[in-house]
Amino acid sequence: MSKKFSLTPYLFLTPALVVVAIFVLYPIFAVLYYSFTDYSIVTPPVWVGMKNYSWLIHDPIFWKSLGHSFIYLLVTPILIVLSVILAIVVNRKLPGIHAFRALFFIPVISGSIAVGIAWRLMLDRNGIINALLLSVGILKEPMQWLAEPSLTLPFCMALTIWLGVGYYMMIFLAGMQNIPEELYDSAMLDGCNSWQKHWFITISGLRPQITFVAVISSLAALQVFNEVFTITGGLGGLLQSAYTVVFYLWQQAFRLSHAGKASAIAMVLLLITLAFSMINIRLLERGTEAD
Amino acid sequence: MMKRAIGKDEHTRAVLQQTVQNIGLYIILTCVAIITVFPFLWVFFTSFKGPTDAIYSVPPQLIPHEPTFANYIRVWNFLPVGRFFINSIVVTMSVVVLNTLFTSLAAYPLAKMKFKGSNTIFYLLLVTYIIPSALTAIPSYILAVRVFHYYDHIQAAILPYLATVFNIFLLRQAYKGVPDDLIDAGHVDGANEFRIWWNIVIPIIRPSLATVAIITFVEQWNNFFWPSLVLPTMTNKTLQVGLVALQGAFVSDARGTAAGVVMTVVPMIIFFLLLQKQFIRGLTGAVKG
Repeated sequence: MSKKFSLTPYLFLTPALVVVAIFVLYPIFAVLYYSFTDYSIVTPPVWVGMKNYSWLIHDPIFWKSLGHSFIYLLVTPILIVLSVILAIVVNRKLPGIHAFRALFFIPVISGSIAVGIAWRLMLDRNGIINALLLSVGILKEPMQWLAEPSLTLPFCMALTIWLGVGYYMMIFLAGMQNIPEELYDSAMLDGCNSWQKHWFITISGLRPQITFVAVISSLAALQVFNEVFTITGGLGGLLQSAYTVVFYLWQQAFRLSHAGKASAIAMVLLLITLAFSMINIRLLERGTEAD
Repeated sequence: MMKRAIGKDEHTRAVLQQTVQNIGLYIILTCVAIITVFPFLWVFFTSFKGPTDAIYSVPPQLIPHEPTFANYIRVWNFLPVGRFFINSIVVTMSVVVLNTLFTSLAAYPLAKMKFKGSNTIFYLLLVTYIIPSALTAIPSYILAVRVFHYYDHIQAAILPYLATVFNIFLLRQAYKGVPDDLIDAGHVDGANEFRIWWNIVIPIIRPSLATVAIITFVEQWNNFFWPSLVLPTMTNKTLQVGLVALQGAFVSDARGTAAGVVMTVVPMIIFFLLLQKQFIRGLTGAVKG
């Protein structure tokens, strides 16, 4: 590695940096500016100061969307618990176990839009869910599942979980291969039963993976869009029952051409994501200190 | 005598316990498998149902009595599905090839060279990693409409993805595992940095390049948010965007919508089943990076 100045590293970096500068860096500053303007995209932006932010503070739909995004974070603990359990179950040498693992991974690659549309068909009044529940006798008459405001957001969250469990399961499964077998043997000698064994050894051994999954799944949950879009047919649910921050941002920016208001929402989203990342980095640091 | 008898007894008990446990495990596995597979199976069978096969009946009918391709033909005739496929392939392949190239170029100096500003660039990239894509979509959309004038052109779906920070970090980590001695040997032989990178380093990090390519492939094939914003004309849509248009046009036609879902999902599932190991290693292996 020579010490004299060389253009080479910059040449390597240029193509990627140009793309990142245009499509990630520039947008941060542009959105900050737009958030202080009235901007319909068709006509040039007009400076309005804090107007968009005071509109946001007084907008009940925004607060509702924000609340839904925080409720959505519940998918993170559920995903972690389900995928750790599933990883423990598939982490054995049983005939056919590889086929099961692969099967559980299929939702991960099949795409939230196609699967969301399939779910919407199934939950339709004339869908298979009603048919099944009626024939088993759980329901007396068909339900309008998708027209039930209190169920819309939970359905979206269920879809997120269904799509993600296989992915996180694989991450935990990979993590389990690094836990030394001797730890389990000595736990058995100490008289631990099977559940205690997993509680003390597997869970603490998986701490780096659990932190990682908590970070990525909570950041994804805060930014959820596709699930809401497909389950509600692009409408966000009756009475805004499934509006999330990104859904509201999308509606303001791309349905109503209120780029200024949408930018203010985007700034709030950015602050929340930053705060979350800080908390997560703290947790990560603490996690690695413990090791 | 006594001792042997007890040993035998304990052995049978252990075997019995193991068998009971395994049966329990298979029950759990089967339940999860049913929950996982059922939506796919139901959509698959529904897409082959003719007018005489009920979508909704109590008790439900899953398998069509008179399977037909009519739904596929109807969807194919009503929407430019062939164009959707071509557009998705063009977008996905362009992004996979160029993104892998650009990010593998960018990650190399960040891992293996000392230069002015390297720390600044590294931390700048680290910060951009957490920027929500919904935020960047607003200015990117305005750029597409007012500056680059590629709104409603396929490039609009490609250009923003030609470099992703996640891939840069992943490859930077891979380069760090390449021994410096190999690179120095290249210097001694008088090869320039590009030669060394291409001939010596790239072959070593090939598994990580495959990881990047697979992550990008799955992401792009399933990408919806951004393409749905910039590709309004029917013949310019990708499969995912076209599928939503189909859902809108076939609201009361579950058979047609199901056919659309099957056409969108099946190519990816086939790909996955063919390259299972690479997919799983690629998508989850990124975690270590």
